[in-house]
Amino acid sequence: MTGYPVLTATTFLPLAGAVLIVLIGSERLARWIALATTLATLAVSAPLYWYFNKGSSALQFVELREWIPSWNIAYSMGVDGISLPFIFLAALLSVLCVGASWTAIQTRVREFYAALLVAETAMIGLFATSNLFLFFVFWELMVIPMFLIIGVWGGPGRVYSSVKFLLFTLAGSVLMLVGMIAVYQAFGTLDFKALAGETIEPVFQAWLFVAFLAAFAVKVPMFPVHTWLPDAHTEAPTAGSVILAGVLLKMGAYGFLRISLPILPDAVQLFLMPMLVVSVVAIVYGAYVTLVQKDIKRLIAFSSVSHMGFVTLGIFTLNRSGVEGAILQMINHGIVSAALFLCVGMIYERTHTREIKDYGGVAKIAPVYSTLLALFCLAAAGFPGLNSFVGEFLIIGGAFKTQAWLGAAAVWGVALGTTYMVWLFYRVAMGEINPGLEGLKLELNLREVATLAPLALLAVCLGLYPESVLSYLRAPVAELLASGVAP
Amino acid sequence: MKGAATLADLALLVPELILVGMALALILTARRIQKTPVAAVGTVLAALAAAVAAGWTLSEDAQTGFSGMITVDEYSQFFKVLIAATLALAALLAVRSIDRERIPRAEYHALLLLASTGMMLAVSALDLLTLYLGLELMTLCSYILVGIRVERPTSNEAAIKYFLLASFASALLLYGISLTYGVTGATDFAGIASALGEQGSNQLLSVAIGLVTVGIAFKIAAVPLHAWAPDAYQGASAPVAAFLAAGSKAAGLAALGRVGLVAFGSEADVLSAVLLGLAALSILVGSVVALSQTDMKRLLAYSSIAHAGYALLGLIAGTPEGVSATMTYAFFYVFMTLGAFGVVIALGERGETLDGYQGLAAQRPGTAAIMLLFLLSLTGIPPTAGFVAKFVVILSAVSAGHMALAVLAVACSVISAFIYMRVAVFMYMREPRDPAPSRFPMAVSAALGVAALVTLIGGISPGSLTLWAVSP
Repeated sequence: MTGYPVLTATTFLPLAGAVLIVLIGSERLARWIALATTLATLAVSAPLYWYFNKGSSALQFVELREWIPSWNIAYSMGVDGISLPFIFLAALLSVLCVGASWTAIQTRVREFYAALLVAETAMIGLFATSNLFLFFVFWELMVIPMFLIIGVWGGPGRVYSSVKFLLFTLAGSVLMLVGMIAVYQAFGTLDFKALAGETIEPVFQAWLFVAFLAAFAVKVPMFPVHTWLPDAHTEAPTAGSVILAGVLLKMGAYGFLRISLPILPDAVQLFLMPMLVVSVVAIVYGAYVTLVQKDIKRLIAFSSVSHMGFVTLGIFTLNRSGVEGAILQMINHGIVSAALFLCVGMIYERTHTREIKDYGGVAKIAPVYSTLLALFCLAAAGFPGLNSFVGEFLIIGGAFKTQAWLGAAAVWGVALGTTYMVWLFYRVAMGEINPGLEGLKLELNLREVATLAPLALLAVCLGLYPESVLSYLRAPVAELLASGVAP
Repeated sequence: MKGAATLADLALLVPELILVGMALALILTARRIQKTPVAAVGTVLAALAAAVAAGWTLSEDAQTGFSGMITVDEYSQFFKVLIAATLALAALLAVRSIDRERIPRAEYHALLLLASTGMMLAVSALDLLTLYLGLELMTLCSYILVGIRVERPTSNEAAIKYFLLASFASALLLYGISLTYGVTGATDFAGIASALGEQGSNQLLSVAIGLVTVGIAFKIAAVPLHAWAPDAYQGASAPVAAFLAAGSKAAGLAALGRVGLVAFGSEADVLSAVLLGLAALSILVGSVVALSQTDMKRLLAYSSIAHAGYALLGLIAGTPEGVSATMTYAFFYVFMTLGAFGVVIALGERGETLDGYQGLAAQRPGTAAIMLLFLLSLTGIPPTAGFVAKFVVILSAVSAGHMALAVLAVACSVISAFIYMRVAVFMYMREPRDPAPSRFPMAVSAALGVAALVTLIGGISPGSLTLWAVSP
């Protein structure tokens, strides 16, 4: 199909860019190298979408090379319809992050872009690999650049937030390490497909489920281990928030889809009810907490808790509608929350405040900005015709099929979501112009419009034609549910 | 006596003879070369020659000499190469700091060479007495190295403490050896093993095994025999601390591995119970106590205690796979700990306290990045060698059915992440306080580069090393 190993190239091109930035000691060039690298990564990933066979649930673009023969661990890459959209999301958001940091990051520019590019490698690699060992390696590789991005270039409380983020994620992932080692010890392989074919004792499955849950729940984040998220999102620089909300949170949910559901089906049944309940709690609790936030970034951060609650709810409904909706919702949330954080970052650069009370009447000063903000707020609220609507609709449909009260609670979450997003927009953009904003030039420049435009386009297109993502999901989700996990 | 040593026996000791020869040459010419770089160059060359000599025979069949007291097999040669590397790096790292601390050059290097000779003898010993001699040669030189800054009271205090505690531990080891001899009538490993095979276990034997294990565990600073390490490392000059943390640990682990597997193999239950306690306590105490340290050498001392515990995880299983896991751990640990100490050494006075790392990333991005690499490796985060090392030893613990121990080990690695990342926070997230450090000498940069390279390559391509880590 193509003349080069697409997945390897897509994964490691950003790393090469990071090395180049470190080697070339120029701050000015660093931005351009980062932009070129992220664009090139998007370009080399193009064959993935072009040549992908949507009808097949098998792994495609498979690369298999010897890596650690004495341990029977191979360098194996491969994507299916579930992982592919995330690779696109990670590659796209990385480009936008470079754009969003162009003027916002003024100190230690080289290190910033190097860290960003290492994070991109970790994100793409995580979704592109087909074995647990590499999955773990990329999982951990992600933590360090994010730790630095939050802690070095973040807001006033950055050090506390970055250390909290680091310790939460590590505490989860070391248990995954034990789980991985136990699996490897028992079966001698860490290949996802091979492990899905093993019959694992139910008790052992339960232990493994708990070990992996520790890692995934922190990343998603699920209630009650979500407390790192508001701090990290709020203090991170814009690009950091975008990566966190856009991709990092999806890594946990992707772990459920890639590991828990196919490999540990009995344990999933065992823990089904607790998982559903925790998801619903996250949706409703998250939404109520979002309502009372006074800081825009914190508000969007807490809305992520609620929105990711939809994702885990959908996954654990274990029916087609729910799971497809959950994956779609992951993509949609990646687009919308990234866009909202970009919007906040752009206006913060001008006003240097994130307090909602310092805003008001922005629509009168900056109509283009406010239009885009309105679009993304409505998208986040699940407005029909925009992308999140379809995902939430499918999830709620799936939830009603499982248990009616789950669906009812989720609908309540949507209602609250509309409230806080519309109210946010109202307080920021409508009403009288806040005296503190007089004289500020709030309107976006061309670079910023160009940064937001792809996301706006995606929000509209996926809202009108969700099939563009759903068509990728159909075959792999059908196989996932046919493999015995569905009730 | 079974027979006099022949030339063929001596041929087995080529690496040791090279080191001893260089040590003697340095001592004889000490006065003339005090102001020249001859000692450092000679030591590095001798280390390289010894490594080549040891590596030469790496894949050959095992040979024994000196009436079965010494062996040359893949296991011993693996550790000899590692010890030679430790020696070379410790000599390179010391290039500037020994002058600043007014440590006599020839003596410092001669003692390093002799201590390394002791380590090499210990790893190739096939007899408890040879083992004892090797370990004592190493420890004796270490006392002097710790106290070599004679005009500093802290250095003297550290040396005395170290000496008293180590003598006590040596007595325990010797007592264990004599009990073993009393029970089995042999001091050579094969003789002990065959005697145990015939007569089975008894309580006296359990005491003997416990004493021998504990005596050797002192050398690797496993809890509760760790009390010397923080004081000795803090009082010693940083390159000496680095050498002790890396070399002493590698030699001790090698000795424990061989004694456990070859001599006391039939008593694996007793041995693994003792090692289990040592490992769990070391990991827990090392990680938790390190939390409150602000002196970098003390911090790294507690870190080395925790790492001794992790390395012991491999030996608990009492299987060849477990021993080779510990070999892998020891190998990577040596380079990452020498690297971390190397940065401490290179930064001089500033490097010895945690506060000194404030804003280092803004002043010296390369140094900060390399330190971050070593810290990540010490934490055990991929893609560094430290992760591979942790993976293999925890795998070995899980294989042996010690799931709770595995969970304890990883839980403590989260604690240690806090410790190591605190240094990273100081480097990256604080404003500089001290003036930027001066340029490092070429030798120090080279040593740091080698350590970083091994740490990185070991993480990316772990398979290459495990081929060599063959248990006895």
